[in-house]
Amino acid sequence: MASISLKNVGLTFTVKQDAGYTLKDLMVGGFFRKHYKMPMQVQALSDITLEVSDGQRLGIIGHNGAGKSTLLRLIAGIYQPNKGIRKVSGRISSLFDIALGFEQEATGWENIRFRCYLQGETPRSVDSKLQEIADFSELGEFLDMPVRFYSSGMRVRLAFSIATAIDPEVLLVDEVLAAGDMAFQSKAFERMRAMIERAHLMVMVSHDLERTTDLCDRVIWLDHGLVKQTGPASEIIPAYKEWTKNALSAGKTKPGGTVLAAA
Amino acid sequence: MTDYIREIWRTRFFWMSLVRMDLRAKYRGSALGMGWSLLQPIAMTTVFCGVSATLFHQEIAKFAPYVMTGLTLWSYFSHCTSMGCFIFHQAEPYIRQHPAPMAIYPLRLMLGNTFHLLIALCLAIALSTWGTGFAGILPILSLLPSLALIMVMGWSIACLLGILNVYFRDVKHMAEVGLQILMYLTPIWYPEHLLREKGLAWLVNANPIVPFLTLVRTALLEHRVPSVEMYGAAMLVAGSFFLLAALNLRQRESRLIFFL
Repeated sequence: MASISLKNVGLTFTVKQDAGYTLKDLMVGGFFRKHYKMPMQVQALSDITLEVSDGQRLGIIGHNGAGKSTLLRLIAGIYQPNKGIRKVSGRISSLFDIALGFEQEATGWENIRFRCYLQGETPRSVDSKLQEIADFSELGEFLDMPVRFYSSGMRVRLAFSIATAIDPEVLLVDEVLAAGDMAFQSKAFERMRAMIERAHLMVMVSHDLERTTDLCDRVIWLDHGLVKQTGPASEIIPAYKEWTKNALSAGKTKPGGTVLAAA
Repeated sequence: MTDYIREIWRTRFFWMSLVRMDLRAKYRGSALGMGWSLLQPIAMTTVFCGVSATLFHQEIAKFAPYVMTGLTLWSYFSHCTSMGCFIFHQAEPYIRQHPAPMAIYPLRLMLGNTFHLLIALCLAIALSTWGTGFAGILPILSLLPSLALIMVMGWSIACLLGILNVYFRDVKHMAEVGLQILMYLTPIWYPEHLLREKGLAWLVNANPIVPFLTLVRTALLEHRVPSVEMYGAAMLVAGSFFLLAALNLRQRESRLIFFL
């Protein structure tokens, strides 16, 4: 039985304004505070309580920076919460930033294997899927070439074909519904729908509210890292649309996320 | 802890395939392919041995295997150090997509370097057999626990520097400078006793690479199984580095992603 349980989960992270610290930061930071970019604490999620059980399809909506992708990554175990309890049962299959993470010098065939292995597949299970993935991607002889020669569209095709060839228990999807060109997009959507049907449980982040209504039975609306509303998709999405319309007319479209203070 | 090791094992197909890919990618398109792994230590040994044997009045037949064992291990540790600084940056797309144990990324680097180390060690065994005769079965077998310690040390260096470089971007530059200094302080192509005779024994004793050099050289050049004290010294160094790396990883693994 697949399930997700979050109890009063919070996530705060410290980020340096430039990535990492340098020796200069450490040595002179204390003397020249004006020029020293202090690390910032960002309150990404606050007090999130959520239960998703087997068979449910949950959509996460909200404005930019509301914490949607962060919540999804926290469910996936990529981010660990500072507060609260996170429990996930079932094998997690996550579809985030799928176009990233190709080994540039490896061929398309080799990259299919790496990615499948990363998703928990074995050589035997990959062998049985290899041809199907290649056929769906329609990349043909390009699969014999190193990935560094691929166009960005070809990479997305390959990434999508691999990512959707698995049989997921807990499926986490972040904005991967639009893959490749128009012709590929329609068959990609059908494949995605079939995958969602196979999954025991699905959580999806999307700005495409029509697709969210179509694919999800429940929706959680995030605002500045907090749960604003949760309920059936048919109730929450119209409320969110109305709120967005009002926010637009009032000019309140500032991205979310709360910077607490310099650490 | 057991869960963590189980998770590393569960992802074995992933990191093992990356190691294979790294090895293939390194020589893809080159005329000699893996032959470069053989040619490089031979060329380096020839040059260093030619100069050093004359400078230090050493007999080539004995000094050549000495230099080759030194260069072999130095090459392994210096690659673990210089490439180790970038392992988590290199793995960032994977880290952002899947919560696999981060210990697998230094493991990827260490195993790739171990492959080259093994090739060079085989050459060193052949060269020492030519120069000083066959070491014997037991001394050759004693290389196995030595190799295990060298692998632990390689993983620990890569992991530790990988973590440090995520937080402090100067670490990679400091590591480069440190490597250059350490190369001259390590008895790779000059006899170790020269340092001791000049009253610089402390330099040898404080050098973390020396215990591993001693293990390999005792087996191949002196044809005997290293003593318990020799293994103890190597275990102490490898164990300390491993503990430091493992504790750092445990403490920082969940937060590392925010600094990448």
